Amino acid sequence: MTKRYQRQEKILQIGAEGQKRLAKSKVTVIGAGGLGSPVLTYLAEAGVGKIRLIDFDTVGITNLNRQFLYTEKDLGRKKTDAAREKLELLNPEVRVEAVCAELNEENAEELTGEADAVVSCLDSISARLIVNEVCLRRNIPLVEGGISGFYGFVMCVKREGPCLECLGYDRSMDRSSIPALGAVSGVVGSLQAAECLKILLGTGRPLYGRMIQYDGINGSFDEIAVKRNENCRLHRRAMAGAQRG
Amino acid sequence: MIEVRLFATFREGRQKVYEMEAEGLAKASDVLDVLQIPCEEVAIFLINGRHSSLDDSIRDGDVLAVFPPVGGG
Repeated sequence: MTKRYQRQEKILQIGAEGQKRLAKSKVTVIGAGGLGSPVLTYLAEAGVGKIRLIDFDTVGITNLNRQFLYTEKDLGRKKTDAAREKLELLNPEVRVEAVCAELNEENAEELTGEADAVVSCLDSISARLIVNEVCLRRNIPLVEGGISGFYGFVMCVKREGPCLECLGYDRSMDRSSIPALGAVSGVVGSLQAAECLKILLGTGRPLYGRMIQYDGINGSFDEIAVKRNENCRLHRRAMAGAQRG
Repeated sequence: MIEVRLFATFREGRQKVYEMEAEGLAKASDVLDVLQIPCEEVAIFLINGRHSSLDDSIRDGDVLAVFPPVGGG
């Protein structure tokens, strides 16, 4: 290993072995926007071996209040191209696979790829639910996060625990142009990256069955224990799909 | 008594946590009426950590958690 990771190898839960484990890990990050910027940056800097990033959008001026992977020079470029370029500059040891595509029910399984963890940085509830179902079916840990104004949440999902639909998420919640502040996206995205690294390292207590709510107005965090809904359609469908094969 | 925990924008102009007598609150939506939170603005509603309907009945000792949509990326 290079000196690049010297400081994080000093962390008891990482060490030289953990660093090797990160180098062998594969993560899929869906969405390279406000949350995707900190998530992709910290996963690349930490030395996650293979990162697949998925986004369909181009860089616009309204992205630049929070999406620090991009600059004015990137306006009009595909986010996947600009983000891959930036991440490869940050850490050439990481293999970045950028896929410019809009995720839907038909392509979600293929786009997610072979991953040890998926991080959802999407801005649509519908797409989040699709990723949620794919991860349940394929038994891939999912790190969820969302923001609105000064508020945000983070939660991890695995097959045995509660998922977004268990919580009551449904497509009717989709809103366009959600208020977004870079500093809050940074807090939530950083928490998502930390949860993802814990999952890859097999250390600590990932946020399965627990949701962290960040309240930037009051400067506080709350933890909410959440339970699996035995009637969850996504769990039922995912298990049926997994059994079919 | 029941405990009602509000999150995100529902805290604006309100407290984070309310304690209320369960008596007189037949169902969950009655709690929202007291707090002047329109039902259609609620995205996630949990009773004791479990997804619940606003028509569900409330029992003494319940902990309610009420969230608006927080789904931006």
